[in-house]
Amino acid sequence: MAYSNKVLDHYNNPRNVGSLDKSDPNVGTGMVGAPECGDVMKLQIKVNGAGIIEDAKFKTFGCGSAIASSSLATEMLKGKTVDEALAIRNTELVSELSLPPVKIHCSVLAEDAIKAAIADYKKKTGAPAEAAAQVH
Amino acid sequence: MATYFEALGIAPRLSVDPEALRAAFYQRSRELHPDRFARADREQQARALELSSLLNDGFRTLRDPVSRAEYLLKLNGFDIGEQRSKDVPPELLEEVFELNMAMEELKAGDEHARGPLEEARRKFSALVAGTDETIDGLFASWDASQSRDDLARIRAALNRRRYLSNLLRDAEKALAPES
Repeated sequence: MAYSNKVLDHYNNPRNVGSLDKSDPNVGTGMVGAPECGDVMKLQIKVNGAGIIEDAKFKTFGCGSAIASSSLATEMLKGKTVDEALAIRNTELVSELSLPPVKIHCSVLAEDAIKAAIADYKKKTGAPAEAAAQVH
Repeated sequence: MATYFEALGIAPRLSVDPEALRAAFYQRSRELHPDRFARADREQQARALELSSLLNDGFRTLRDPVSRAEYLLKLNGFDIGEQRSKDVPPELLEEVFELNMAMEELKAGDEHARGPLEEARRKFSALVAGTDETIDGLFASWDASQSRDDLARIRAALNRRRYLSNLLRDAEKALAPES
């Protein structure tokens, strides 16, 4: 299968690979898996006092599209507020990376990972999901 | 077209006694031996040959519990896609991630990863064994109930087993000394 140049770029030079301290109360960790292809994706965000995502890291075991989707996702997350991050849709990843239909589930996985990381962060900070959404 | 179970003259069950299966195979093989059809007409000879080939395929398929269950699922209209075998069991995400991580580190030459990988191998080996027990139980359950729900559960368990044993195989390969 032919990957787009953008997928290849993220695959060959993945941004923000690594991990953040899971026990840090300002770090949210999302771990998701794709039933379609057996991929496993870990995505972490670090939120500063102003509610801005100041760092994001990922590690993905899977195909090129899954790696590219999560790599791009971490780039998009940095500098966003938690609520802006929640608004990221997989379709943005699909169009940015020109993912073919058979690889759309990779972008869905990345969106799920973002949501899981944010949910974990909110759980840690003790803010119920609805209340946290109204803060900003 | 007869099923493998019919070709072997046994009931379509998932719990099969290996000795009984072997005995049925030998018995039917003797019955279909070409010598017995030396004087038969061409059509009967061709029929015996066809049945004999079905019998051999059937014995190979039914003697292995996994391929036996997959065959029975196919007979019952279940689609056995290769894709589904990769389902990540959600409760195992962490373990699957750690296993992959340790394999990658070890492949990159980090010997510190050996310990965690050996630990992961033990864990996945136990998970495969546990899945085998589940599958045995489901086999017995279907044999008694013949219910489609049981078949669906069996398919899920087989997918899980294949996924886990693939990971286990990868871990063992990564741990094996360079040859």
